[in-house]
Amino acid sequence: MLIAQITDTHIKLPGALAYGKVDTAAMLARCVAELGRLAPQPDLIVITGDLVDLGRAEEYAHLRSLLKPLGSPLVVVPGNHDDRSALRAAFADHAYLPARGFLQFAIDAPYPVRIVGLDTLVPMQGGGELCAERLAWLDETLARQPQRPTVVLMHHPPFVTGIGHMDKLGLAGRDEFSRVVGRHPQVELVLCGHLHRSIQARVGGRAAMTCPSTAHQVALDLRDDAPSRFNMEPPGYLLHRWTGSGFVSHQACIGDYAGPFPFFADDGSLID
Amino acid sequence: MTQAPASLSITLQACAKTFDDGTRVLEPLDLSIAAGETLVLLGPSGCGKTTTLRIVAGLERPDAGGRVLFDGDDVTALDIAQRNVGMVFQSYALFPNMSVAENVGYGLRVRRTPAAERTARVREMLAMMRIEALADRKVDQLSGGQRQRVALARALAVRPRALLLDEPLTALDAKLREALRTEISALLRRLHITSVYVTHDQAEAMALGDRIVVMSHGRVEQIGSPREIYQRPASRFVADFIGAMNRLPGRMLAGAFHCSGGSIAWPQGPERAQEILFRPEHVRIAESEAVADLRGTVSATFFLGDRSRVLVDIGDDRTVTLEGAMRRPLRPGERLGLRIDAQDLLTF
Repeated sequence: MLIAQITDTHIKLPGALAYGKVDTAAMLARCVAELGRLAPQPDLIVITGDLVDLGRAEEYAHLRSLLKPLGSPLVVVPGNHDDRSALRAAFADHAYLPARGFLQFAIDAPYPVRIVGLDTLVPMQGGGELCAERLAWLDETLARQPQRPTVVLMHHPPFVTGIGHMDKLGLAGRDEFSRVVGRHPQVELVLCGHLHRSIQARVGGRAAMTCPSTAHQVALDLRDDAPSRFNMEPPGYLLHRWTGSGFVSHQACIGDYAGPFPFFADDGSLID
Repeated sequence: MTQAPASLSITLQACAKTFDDGTRVLEPLDLSIAAGETLVLLGPSGCGKTTTLRIVAGLERPDAGGRVLFDGDDVTALDIAQRNVGMVFQSYALFPNMSVAENVGYGLRVRRTPAAERTARVREMLAMMRIEALADRKVDQLSGGQRQRVALARALAVRPRALLLDEPLTALDAKLREALRTEISALLRRLHITSVYVTHDQAEAMALGDRIVVMSHGRVEQIGSPREIYQRPASRFVADFIGAMNRLPGRMLAGAFHCSGGSIAWPQGPERAQEILFRPEHVRIAESEAVADLRGTVSATFFLGDRSRVLVDIGDDRTVTLEGAMRRPLRPGERLGLRIDAQDLLTF
């Protein structure tokens, strides 16, 4: 099974630029086109939050129209830029999303791995939270199927990244989260967004990572007082390939780059 | 046909389920499902029927000591992907952004089935469910009934060893439910695929099941053919849950059950009987009150087309319901004598 992860698409109203600079819609359209050309095609596409920029219904409508060409199943979780009820309404045809309460879910079929989505959203806040209720739900949900390899989706990463201004918008309850997944070794991957760049860490003994944004990236600046800045490094997405016994994750860059060039000449010799 | 030739037999041995908080949702259950059989799990919500289905599917593990066998092989430790079962849920769980054909072929795609074989199988499934014309439609352009046909086609496309259906018709309106029920019944028999079907709807259970397992509070109340369950309910719960039932309190005296409105001859009736139950269709109208078992006054009549339902007040705030084709129209206020044969009486 192949899972494509995209994140932090930050779609605005048609024509509007994020932070006055970034054409997030055009960049997502480009990503969708590249995903459509992948061979093999992903069996599942997940979006780990910040689907739109301001949580408006019109932004979600714009997002849905941009996602329309995707020919794979799609699963979404909310981020701090999302609005629970607007997201729920826009994705009313997504049967895995619960009709009320937190946007948390477990998808049991028809994928070879189990997909668990978490809702780390705190309305009107940049930081996220896993409160006691959400953590209890996770613990119980994971305990129900200890034998099934499981992927957890959540917007806010449950680890300190070292990028000061982003860590100030971190995840409350991350230590408790670490203890919960520590109890459930079937959790193969914890897939996050929020950081607009690729970062890996071990959380409760599990592999956790953030995914590049399809649009702008957060500047790599590991100072505690790092100012809040983004840049236009190549956008990207992650491909997580299930081998039957584990996951292997790849990062892909969106855009045109020179190549591909051959390593070997036509006669089979290494090009000197 | 398209199914693997050999159907699967499924056995549950001492399968119980206790959740982490200590709630016992399923008492230890032993169950054998024959190859090619359609078994219906029937009961009210919270009876354990869905948990049982999920244990068969591999979505839930039984408590320690419980075992699930497929054709005699222990599959308890295998998850749903390894058990190769097809599932259909109440909510369609189809992919809204994909076409009908893409949805049906999805399981084959995940299994990396070669494209040519996949296309052929999808076409075959669409033909089987008579939805060829919908192949290129998006799911959001389909009616509820069409969606459930797609869900069935998708579940069957991977040639599962068994088909598991969790309230697949509950979200549909009554008329569609009945039509699709007939269709599913014919399909399961034609494919001869081992199926487990969960429902709270007794009419659905009657129409579909080779056998029905009636469940309540995590326990099996009765297992039997639809006819056995209807005609010889094993408990008061089953009698009440399946079909309409008249219930009258009273007591046995000299070979007859005495209750409001009169007495019913019941030579074999147990002395301890304090309540009798009988079906509305087993109540007949007597020639006259003089030869009647029970007497009363018509309180209401309902014309149902092929039959009528009549409520008869037999005094003491007790009502007997009878159903059948009435030879003449009855009017509220009319006196009426009723006859019930001893063979149609039940007591628990």
